[in-house]
Amino acid sequence: MSGLRVEGCTVAFGGLRAIDNVTLAIPDGTITALIGPNGSGKSTFVNMVSGQIPPAAGRILLGGDAITGLRPDRIVHRGLARTYQVPKVPKELTIEEVISVPLLYARSERPLPPGVRGAADLARYCGLRPAVSTRCGQLSVSDLRRLEIARALACRPDVLLLDESMAGLGVEDTEQVIALVREIHASGVTVLVIEHVMRIIAKLCRHAIVLNQGRLLAEGEPQRVLTDGQVREAYLGKGFTL
Amino acid sequence: MNALVLRLGFYAAIAAPFVAVALAEHAFLVQVAIGIAVSAILALAWDILSRTGQVSLGHAAFFGMGGYGSALLTPVLGPVLGWTAGLLLCGAVAVLLGAVTLRLRRLYFTIATLSFSLSIQVFILVTPDLTGGSTGIMPPVLAGGSPPHQLLFITGCLVAAAVVSDVFLGARFRPAFFMIRNNPHLAAASGVPVTRLKILAFAVSGMVAGLAGACYAGLYGYVIPDDVFTTNWNVLPLAVTILGGMDTTLGPVVGAVALRLLEEVARHVVGGVGYQVVYGAVIILFIVGMPAGLVGFARGLLRRRKAPARSDGAKARLAS
Repeated sequence: MSGLRVEGCTVAFGGLRAIDNVTLAIPDGTITALIGPNGSGKSTFVNMVSGQIPPAAGRILLGGDAITGLRPDRIVHRGLARTYQVPKVPKELTIEEVISVPLLYARSERPLPPGVRGAADLARYCGLRPAVSTRCGQLSVSDLRRLEIARALACRPDVLLLDESMAGLGVEDTEQVIALVREIHASGVTVLVIEHVMRIIAKLCRHAIVLNQGRLLAEGEPQRVLTDGQVREAYLGKGFTL
Repeated sequence: MNALVLRLGFYAAIAAPFVAVALAEHAFLVQVAIGIAVSAILALAWDILSRTGQVSLGHAAFFGMGGYGSALLTPVLGPVLGWTAGLLLCGAVAVLLGAVTLRLRRLYFTIATLSFSLSIQVFILVTPDLTGGSTGIMPPVLAGGSPPHQLLFITGCLVAAAVVSDVFLGARFRPAFFMIRNNPHLAAASGVPVTRLKILAFAVSGMVAGLAGACYAGLYGYVIPDDVFTTNWNVLPLAVTILGGMDTTLGPVVGAVALRLLEEVARHVVGGVGYQVVYGAVIILFIVGMPAGLVGFARGLLRRRKAPARSDGAKARLAS
């Protein structure tokens, strides 16, 4: 079984179980959405899978191999890359230098997207308009988001986790990033999208996973999941009807 | 090819003033130049480590160990092997210290390096049979004790340190080091082996600092612990690098010259002990007014002159 599989995983901060015995699968070649209200454990889930916070219990399988407890850089080498929601890149580095880091250090046998050779191509592929010699300190939020996607793609992943890559973007920028995610998926990358905006999820994904208070709440087609009574309750509170 | 010629020209430009002073054989200037070259090597060592976000206040430890190591091993192994073994010892200790302090964040790391340098001094004092204790040691004198020749040799070491510094400012290390310093999680998420690179930087930094110490110990043929394991050598590389400009090879060299110049001028104008207060105050003013150092300041001026039209582009981006 390829793709990403999480079996009985738990992450606890003191007494709080941010991820509580979660089992789920992201099948190979899909775009899956991970949704849930604030504090439901979405970001912890990404930190757990990418190795930043190893789970206290459970197993994580990537392409059928266990990656539980591996260092984050080793997990990158195995073919899993993630983006950060608020990318803090060194502002003295240029676009080209940031993308060059995973190109140099991420040992992956997967090719870059078709037609993409180096850092400059990858920047263009992700829709970065400023010159590649531009320092990151001068980039807008939407360009920093694109740079973060380009950096993750430079890891040449099999599975890509996008942590709210579209949050706070304007309508036009959002549409462009949606198109980019589709193109990345079409090039053969399995994508997990962590998102707040339902409209984007409905557009992009055929499969959605809902977390609430660290537990798996629902799973299935976005339209069905979003109309699920429990999901509505988690988001809006009890007794709220539309 | 062109870049290589430019690099070689850069090293020649760094070495030229030192070589000129050595050839002129001006006794006072030769001593000043030797002091500057030794501080510059030590400052380059400090800067290599600081590029990974590890701010050390304990480089006197490696400076002293380089001096002691080369001095004690040269009679046994000969000069070349003795120095090599001395520097390797510094590298090995740096790897151990690096591994222990790895998880310490910022200030805690700095305090750990400071305490380490103090404990090395104590180690020397309590092992008189091995290290001579408080009475010190008599290392073989460099270059037959001729100061101009010593200066030429130390200039060679300075160029070697500059080459090492440039390797770690190249495409392979500079972006990765800065990413580790700024955001280690992002570096790891980009496939960078963060721990390994931090320890590598520590080892290289320790060895280059040891080279500076070996040069210093060989100047007069007599070294006591108070000469090399003092706060002066802990603070000096930091002051020199911040004054000259961090994250560059030129910065520590320029900083070493500027700091010595400042010291001499303050000594001349103020005199007595009071000059040290003035000298300290001027350093603080420089750090506050010129946080990027002399080299960073000069680069900023050049960039502004070169690209006055850039602001339009920035505005267009803001509007989009």
